[in-house]
Amino acid sequence: MEVSQQPILVAQDLQKVYGSRTALRSLSFSLRPGRVLGFLGPNGAGKTTSIRVLTTILEPTAGRFEVDGVGSDRPIEIRRRIGVLPEGIGFPRNSTGFDYLTYFGQLFGRSARDARDTASELLAEVGLQNRADSLVGTYSHGMRQRLGIARALVNRPRVLFLDEPTLGLDPRGQQELLRLIQRIAREHDTGVVLSSHMLSEIEGICDDVVIMNAGHVVAKGTVAEVIGQSAAPGVAQHVLRVRVPADQVANAERILNAESTVVQTTVTDQVAGWIVAELADGRGLEGDGEGTGDGAGVAAAGGTERNRLLGALIGADIPIIALDPGGGRLQDVFLQLTAEAIE
Amino acid sequence: MSALSTPGGTVPATAGRGRPVWRLVLGQELKELWIGGRALNLLILFAVLMSATSFLLATNNELSLTPPRLMMVVALQSTMSFGLFIGLIVGAESVSGERERATLEPLLLTPAGRRHVILGKYLAAVSPWPVAMVLAVPYIAVLAQGDVALGIALAWGAVLGTILTFFFTGIGLLASVWSGSTRSSLFVSLLIYLLALLPAQLPGEFQATAAGAIVQALDPLESVRQFLNQYLVGGLALDDARSLLVAPVVALILAIVVVLGVAAPRLALDGGVRSLGPKASTDVEA
Repeated sequence: MEVSQQPILVAQDLQKVYGSRTALRSLSFSLRPGRVLGFLGPNGAGKTTSIRVLTTILEPTAGRFEVDGVGSDRPIEIRRRIGVLPEGIGFPRNSTGFDYLTYFGQLFGRSARDARDTASELLAEVGLQNRADSLVGTYSHGMRQRLGIARALVNRPRVLFLDEPTLGLDPRGQQELLRLIQRIAREHDTGVVLSSHMLSEIEGICDDVVIMNAGHVVAKGTVAEVIGQSAAPGVAQHVLRVRVPADQVANAERILNAESTVVQTTVTDQVAGWIVAELADGRGLEGDGEGTGDGAGVAAAGGTERNRLLGALIGADIPIIALDPGGGRLQDVFLQLTAEAIE
Repeated sequence: MSALSTPGGTVPATAGRGRPVWRLVLGQELKELWIGGRALNLLILFAVLMSATSFLLATNNELSLTPPRLMMVVALQSTMSFGLFIGLIVGAESVSGERERATLEPLLLTPAGRRHVILGKYLAAVSPWPVAMVLAVPYIAVLAQGDVALGIALAWGAVLGTILTFFFTGIGLLASVWSGSTRSSLFVSLLIYLLALLPAQLPGEFQATAAGAIVQALDPLESVRQFLNQYLVGGLALDDARSLLVAPVVALILAIVVVLGVAAPRLALDGGVRSLGPKASTDVEA
C-alpha cells in the first residue's frame, strides 16, 4: 500500500553553486509520506546545503523540487508545508516554551487561541508539558531539541526536515528523540528527512537513505538496498573482526584459515590482537540463512557464519576479548562509498 | 485530538485570523529587548550621560557662561544624540545578532513576509526613544530654569528626536541586514554616527563657507542642531528656519524606503557582500 502512495517530496537535479565552488550537484530523490529518509555524508558533503535548498532558505542554482505538489518556484507555499529543525538552532532567552510555540503558530497564520491550543498539544506531544511555563533558557539541550521539533510541527507539516537533531545529546536523549521522530513519521504520515553523522541511528530508524559526498549523491535507496550495494566488488561486507590475546593471534589465524568460508585473514594489530577474517562472498553464504539475494538476507547469512567461526575459536580455548562483526552495516557501506568518491 | 492529527493538512495559505505578522514580531522583539534587560542597560547609560551633561551645563551656568535657554537647547540636543544612539545600537544588532544566536533561520522558515519581519524589528528598535525622552524631561526642565520656551522645546525635541531616531535606527538596521556579524554592523553604524556628529566639530570658518553649508544641509543631525539653535535660541521665525528641516525629513523618508523597500526583501540567512545581490525569489512576499 505504501508503494502506491505518491511521493510527498521530489527533488530533481538540484544544484547549488557558490561562486566557483559547487556545493551540490545533481541531487535527485523522492520521499513518500510516513517514511524517514536519512541524509548521510561526511562534513562538507552538502547535507546542510541540500536541506537549506529544500527548505527554501537557499535558492537552487539549477534543478527543481516539489513538496506536496507545490513547486520550488512558490517558496512561501512550500514553507507552509514543511517543518524544519536546523542544525544548532538558537532560542529566545526570555520566552517560555509555551510562548515560543504560540508565537510561531501565529506566524504560520493561526489565531491566538488556536496557536495556544496547538502549543499545549505539541508540548505534550514532545513530553515538555511540565516545563511549558519555564523560560527556554532554563531548558537542557535535549529539551531544546524537543522544543525545536515541536516548533517545526506547529503548521502540521507534510515534510519534516531535521538537521543533526541528536548532535550533543547523551545516549538516552538520542534514543528518546529518535523514537519521537519515528513516531511522528508513522502516526502522522509525515515524510521525515533526517540528516545525521550517526550512522547507527540512521540505520535504526530510517526507511530510505541518501549518501552524499562532496556534493554528489553516491548511493540512494532503501537502507537494505544501499547495504546490498556493498555486495559490489571491493566493498568489504563479509568481514569478521575479532580481538584475541596477543599470544593467541597465530593460533587463531590458523583456526580461521582452516575454515572453508574464510578467504583470508589479516592481523591488523599484533599488539592488541586484532584479526580481520574475510569471508566468502554473499552468494556463498546465502545457503546458511534465509538469504533471498538481497542485502538483508546476505547480511543475515553472514551473521550465522560469523557465529560458527567464533564457535571454532572458543572451541579451541581462544578467549574472545572483543568482536566487531563488520560488514552488512550502513557504516561499512558509507565508509567505502565516501572513500571511493574521495579517491 | 492531537494538533498533528487534525484533518485538513497544513495550515491553509489563507489563514489570516491572527494578528499581522509585524505586530507579532514587534511583540516578540519588545519582550527580548525590555524583559531581556538590554533596553534598560542602554537607558541607564543614557541617564548617566545626561547627568554628566547636565552637571557640566549647570556648572557653566554658575559661572555665568551659558544662558538658561541655551543650556536647555544643548540638553535637548544631547538627549537626541544619546537617545538616537540607543536606536542605532539596537538596530545594528537586531538582524546580525539573530544570525549569531541562530534564531533568524526559524523566522525565515515561516511564511511571514520579510517586510513585516523588518518592520516589527524596526519599531522595536525605536521603542527606547520615547522612554529616553521622558527620562530627559527633568534634566531639561531643571536646566531651563523656568524659561517660557520649555514646552515648545520639549515638543520640538520629541518630534525631531523621533525623526532622527527612525533615521539612525534605519541605518543600524541596514548595516545589520547586510553584515555578517554584529561587530561589523556596529562598526559601520558607529562610523556613520560619528560622521554625522563631525560637522558640529568643524572650525567656524569652514562652517561659514558654501561647502560647510552643504555639509550642514546634508547632515540631518547637524540640520536639527542648527534648527534648534536658530529657532529656539536665535529667535529665527519658524518659516525662515523651516528649510533646516528638509534634511531630516528627507533622510527619514529615504531610510524607511531603503529599509522596507530594498533591504527587507533581501533579508537572508547569511549576511556579507553576497547578500547585497538582487532580491532572491525565495524572498518574494506572500
